[in-house]
Amino acid sequence: MTTDLTVRLGRLALRNPIATASGTFGYGLEFAEFLPLGKLGAISVKGLSARPCHGNPPPRICETDAGMLNAIGLQNIGVEAFLTETLPELHRLGATVIANVWGDTEDDYVAVVERIGGDRRVAAIELNVSCPNVVKGGLIFGNNPHALAALTRKVRAATPLPLIVKLSPNVTDITATARAAVDGGADILSLINTLVGLSIDIETRQPRIGFTTGGLSGPAIRPIAIRMVWEVRKALPKVPIFGIGGIETVEHVLEFLIAGADAIQVGTANFRDPMVSARLVDDLARWCAAHGVRRVAELTGTLRTRPRPEHTFA
Amino acid sequence: MAVNEALRVLRTVHYDETHYSLYLAAGSIGPATKPGHFTMIQAGDGLRPYLRRAFSVADVAKVAGVPAMEFVVKAVGVGTTMLGRLAEGTPVPVLGPLGVPFPLDDLASSDRVALVGGGIGLAPLVLLARELAARKIPADLFYGGRNEKEVLKRGDFERFLGPHRCRYATDDGSLGRKGFVTDLVTQALEGGARFRRVFACGPLPMFRALAKIVEAKRLDASFAFESELACGFGVCLGCVQPTTNGRFATICKEGPCLPPSVIDWSRIRP
Repeated sequence: MTTDLTVRLGRLALRNPIATASGTFGYGLEFAEFLPLGKLGAISVKGLSARPCHGNPPPRICETDAGMLNAIGLQNIGVEAFLTETLPELHRLGATVIANVWGDTEDDYVAVVERIGGDRRVAAIELNVSCPNVVKGGLIFGNNPHALAALTRKVRAATPLPLIVKLSPNVTDITATARAAVDGGADILSLINTLVGLSIDIETRQPRIGFTTGGLSGPAIRPIAIRMVWEVRKALPKVPIFGIGGIETVEHVLEFLIAGADAIQVGTANFRDPMVSARLVDDLARWCAAHGVRRVAELTGTLRTRPRPEHTFA
Repeated sequence: MAVNEALRVLRTVHYDETHYSLYLAAGSIGPATKPGHFTMIQAGDGLRPYLRRAFSVADVAKVAGVPAMEFVVKAVGVGTTMLGRLAEGTPVPVLGPLGVPFPLDDLASSDRVALVGGGIGLAPLVLLARELAARKIPADLFYGGRNEKEVLKRGDFERFLGPHRCRYATDDGSLGRKGFVTDLVTQALEGGARFRRVFACGPLPMFRALAKIVEAKRLDASFAFESELACGFGVCLGCVQPTTNGRFATICKEGPCLPPSVIDWSRIRP
């Protein structure tokens, strides 16, 4: 039996639900020697800004148990170089490209999105409103539902392409920012970005990364990400979701789909094994075939919860 | 073109409690490796350590007739400790060869070069010494460590370069001159030595001192940098060092072998 691996996230149609997460896959071309880019559902490129950005001084990363902290500071080549130098090659290689974008101000976001406009070589735009590692921007929008709705509305008006908003987990209630993004015109939500963390060198008593705090990623955050996908799916059952957070194996992919994701993005695991995302496509097809799943899309949101007790004490 | 392959442990040689040589089957990475290249090695298949570790290839040579790669390792954490305990025959995931190797192709046998190593920074210099010997390019080694025990692979260096061309410095004077390895370089230059290129690998304080020396003497140089990194192929952007054009260079992709003149030493924080 062959399983239909295609998924539709609103207007965004993907050949399969395995994508790669922004910040962990470069501009895609760095991986072309390791895997066929056209095999993946999509690739979300390193966050693009209106102008090139040099990023934070090192040290920028440190390993932690089952994960890592990073504070790269959104170093990128800028939207202009991406569109003229990188995108033609990605297009030639058959990659489905998601342009992840960010800025310090609303106008910055609009400028980079306007530059992309309706470029058909870009399948969707993903707003990074949740980077914890820059002084301005990022979380200013990601933590405030009103600011997020206003930003999303402005960006929505600047492009006809499907619009994804990538949500921060550094909030009390992720369904509030999820609703705000959708109210502002987001077609799709992706979650989660990294969790703010701190790791300390006990000998020097200095933070192990230069920015003091950094974004925690990797297997350590997976159960949090799955819980948040489940919460957003319950709150907004019709809004398509990219699930992100510590995905390494087909079992992890399935957990996210069952919790409510329509597709997933592989992140930090790309650093450890550059071929992992392509292998997940094969593993998912194999698992579905072995389990009699005809369409992978039918797995989404099929969590069977047990009734919770009404009282803690008898 | 980097390859990801599982290579078997052929042998492990422990020098003391912390330093050892790990010999892996060469696979297809070994024959493609040039001096200064590095690899990303996965220690164990669990979550601790989670990321691969970067190691320069110290040597490519046969072990009991089997083509092998040698890695000289200092056990400083969970990953480097684990790699030293692997049983013979254990398959180890290795990605490589990675990075920009030492520039060699413009050198001739009429040139003379210097190799400067500090501590575990000897690693890429062994294969470099082998290659220079094969190309009949004369080279002087200046190698420093905390004590005699930390000055490793002396036999190989002396075999490739000639014992009279190898000079050592130790913090405690247990081998060679008491002091810094850069003192040896200064001494040689003051004695009239002229080097077409200075190749170096070692800790940042050594690099900082050596960068000043080569700048003052207008010597061409290539330093093999070490940095904490996650991927090894230019994607995580974690390993960068500041450059004189106000940007950051990725040590894994634009390096690890870089001329010290492109680094903005004033922006490297301790």
